[in-house]
Amino acid sequence: MPEITVRGLTKRYGKVIAVDDATLTIKDKEYVTILGPSGCGKTTLIRMMAGIIEPTEGKVFIDGKDMKGVPIEERDLGYVFQNIALFPNMNVGENVSYSPRVKGKSPEEQGTTSHKYLELVKLLDKMGMFPGELCGGEQQKVSLARALATGSKLLLLDEPLSALDARVRVDLRYDLRRLVKALGITTVHVTHDQEEAMSVSDRIVLMRAGAIVEMGTPEQLYTKPENIFTMNFIGETNLIEGWVRERSVGLCKIELRDGSELEVHSCPYDTGTAVVVSVRPEFVYPFTSGLRSKIVSTTYMGTYWRMTAESASEDEIDFDVPVSDGHLYKIGQEVYLMINNKATVVFPRPHEGIAEAVKLE
Amino acid sequence: MDRLAEAPKSTFLEKISTRHFRSGWKAFIIIFFLLFVILPTVWVLSYIFTDWSSIETVMGDPDLMSTIYDAILASFEIAAIVTVIDIIVGLPMAWILVRKEFRGKRYLDTLIDMPLAVPTAALGFSCAIFWAATSSNVNAPGFAPGFVDSAFLLIVLLHVVFSYPYMVRSLAAILEQIDVTYETAGRALGATKLTAARTITLPLFRAGLVTGIILCMARSLSETGGTMIALATMANSGNFETGPTLIGAWKSNPDLIPQLAFVSILLIVISLILLIILKIAVMKIKLPAGKVWPKYERILSRGWAPFLKDSTSSAFLFIFVLIPSFFIFTYVVVLPYQSAEWGLFWDSLFYSFIIAGVVTVLDIIMGVPMALYVARGHGSKIIQSLDVLVNVPLIVPTAALGFSLGMFWGDVPGIGSFDFILIVMAHVAFTYPLVVRNVAGAVEEIDPSYEETARTLGAKPLQAFRRVLYPMIKTSILAGAIMAFTRSLGETGATLAVVANANTAPVYIVDLINTEQFYTAGLACIVLIIVSYVFMVLLRYITKRRVA
Repeated sequence: MPEITVRGLTKRYGKVIAVDDATLTIKDKEYVTILGPSGCGKTTLIRMMAGIIEPTEGKVFIDGKDMKGVPIEERDLGYVFQNIALFPNMNVGENVSYSPRVKGKSPEEQGTTSHKYLELVKLLDKMGMFPGELCGGEQQKVSLARALATGSKLLLLDEPLSALDARVRVDLRYDLRRLVKALGITTVHVTHDQEEAMSVSDRIVLMRAGAIVEMGTPEQLYTKPENIFTMNFIGETNLIEGWVRERSVGLCKIELRDGSELEVHSCPYDTGTAVVVSVRPEFVYPFTSGLRSKIVSTTYMGTYWRMTAESASEDEIDFDVPVSDGHLYKIGQEVYLMINNKATVVFPRPHEGIAEAVKLE
Repeated sequence: MDRLAEAPKSTFLEKISTRHFRSGWKAFIIIFFLLFVILPTVWVLSYIFTDWSSIETVMGDPDLMSTIYDAILASFEIAAIVTVIDIIVGLPMAWILVRKEFRGKRYLDTLIDMPLAVPTAALGFSCAIFWAATSSNVNAPGFAPGFVDSAFLLIVLLHVVFSYPYMVRSLAAILEQIDVTYETAGRALGATKLTAARTITLPLFRAGLVTGIILCMARSLSETGGTMIALATMANSGNFETGPTLIGAWKSNPDLIPQLAFVSILLIVISLILLIILKIAVMKIKLPAGKVWPKYERILSRGWAPFLKDSTSSAFLFIFVLIPSFFIFTYVVVLPYQSAEWGLFWDSLFYSFIIAGVVTVLDIIMGVPMALYVARGHGSKIIQSLDVLVNVPLIVPTAALGFSLGMFWGDVPGIGSFDFILIVMAHVAFTYPLVVRNVAGAVEEIDPSYEETARTLGAKPLQAFRRVLYPMIKTSILAGAIMAFTRSLGETGATLAVVANANTAPVYIVDLINTEQFYTAGLACIVLIIVSYVFMVLLRYITKRRVA
């Protein structure tokens, strides 16, 4: 039962710190995604777990065993590469049976293994084809089958879906989760796609600029994140600046920049504290009263209209209206916005400024 | 580029971008190749039809036939042994150069090319005084191993020295193009380093291996100057001859034309057959990559085994390649100073440089477009056969090639009397494929979509080449140019075979050795080495700067 732990893992390239003191544990049979913007060090982290890169400092443990000096081939894991990396000189069957082959298994066993895992990804009929003859989605499925054919119970996926078409990507991610869950495999999945992370993971580890920002279940990170960066990176949100004016049980009053008032659900900060109120667009509604705002842009999104408004307090607020009501709004029109105060999260205002705090790097 | 030239250039560019001009240019390149490279190279074969009776006379002489048979057999045996040695020691070295990161890698990288800077004439002398038992009037330093008294072994040792860089370079060039991820993926699937390299990277490697084998075998089969000098320097070479040395020895005697033709024809025909067999064999035969021995390969992948492998291949580089190459420096230092006649040598050196320069420029102008056609025209049967033809002058021993060229151009009125043109033509014939092979190899690895993108952005074909493709293949062009230049500079066999009393530097050195002026020869070799080395460094520096 594989469990993987990294402790104080750091990778420096000269002065550049790619991964800074990362510590986390992925439990047996857990599906964890490491999420973060490009260049945040997530790939470096997973490569250190696999042994492709040697850490500068810190340790990797698999099942409690220190992996220092253990080469990649002896870590007993499956690894799927972003660029797929199917061996071009071998056909699909040979690719999948490569692992049993190099472990000295008999030809019969190699055959049954590749048969079994190709069947699992429903590509048995492509057995004799060469990687170049398959489309991207099929290639990555073969690559997954190849990694699973190691028989390892630990699977590391390095941006496995990034190179694929949008539609294939979505289909494949459900296949992925179903498969590894059915096989009871511990999975670490690196991605920059927050939607992908939300839909496949048991737990998300969010990284930024080499450091782990926050971890938790997708629901925790979406609804009650501890960090304003998380709030902004996962899903969409409106960030409204203000000060705590009045605190009472279960309800707080926030004063905005134009002196208007916003009621939010609980706020742990003292009166007078500068704060940022976060509320996702789906919890903002146009009404007869509320924050006085002006429509700045309207965008047709297919199933709804996305409206962007600027409030009198000079905060930009996005909200959605049903397709049928889209014609009711014009640019420049005045609207009043109500906020579902149960869906608000309040953060202390970051001293470096909001823009800096939610910046991707 | 000059800004002032921008305006008129655009119209010039349009002119040369028209369909007509481009097909005309393509035809010109191909005709040049066929008429000036291929035809003269194999012209000697026409001798079979024009003067069969004299060849019959040669074949009727059993003594002569056994001399020829022995020499040619020796040539091919040496070539085969040398190539096998080069593969065995060159592969780990290529691996070190491409896949390993360590301090001082840059220096190792330059060291590999060093023997290329040494003209084979100098190499032959240097190797002989290092390895071979020499007579006392050579005055070889007492600390040289000097124990080799088999001519065959000495020539193998010599040929390894100058073919080794070709093998390492061709292998490294291909290895660099193979994505490391494949090996990493293999290792993630449980393969040891050795297994992954053997089952994944090596099979992807075939093309590079063919190039390396062809270059090495051809180099060994062709070499004349160095071989002649080494044999002349060693104490007792018996009557040992190789095919090319026979040609070199007989060339000065006008009565021996039929014998020369016969040896040349044999060398050419056998080499061509070998080339074809090799091409087919490497592409068709499956490497024995199927079986895996996890236990043993694991032992060989870790700890002392890789260390032993790396240190042996580095040791080999020093003991068998670098020290013999440069041993000549100690020779001159140890001996007391003797005065020598230098005027003739400077003249010959200057002459050699002019020839090598002209040859290299011609090679690049005519060879790079050819490389593009060869690399990009896989669909066409004509181009495919051109691809095979390009290798012909490479595999044809240069002495035979020189003889053939001499015959061809000698028949053309007006040309036969210009030594300079004859020598340039001969040198173009055997250096041209070096440029084409190097560049074509690089172009084949580059995704055509880069040029296509440039074309969609409005670039004319020439612009797409210059701005997009050229920067990517520049190092290969440079590599080809350096090979062509140094090959031309050091070539003896072909020069002697076209013009018996040519005044190039290597020929001059061969003459010095034959007249036992060893000290002067040694000094001349050193000057030749230094001048070629400086030139190589300069060339590298200039091309590097132009990018920035």
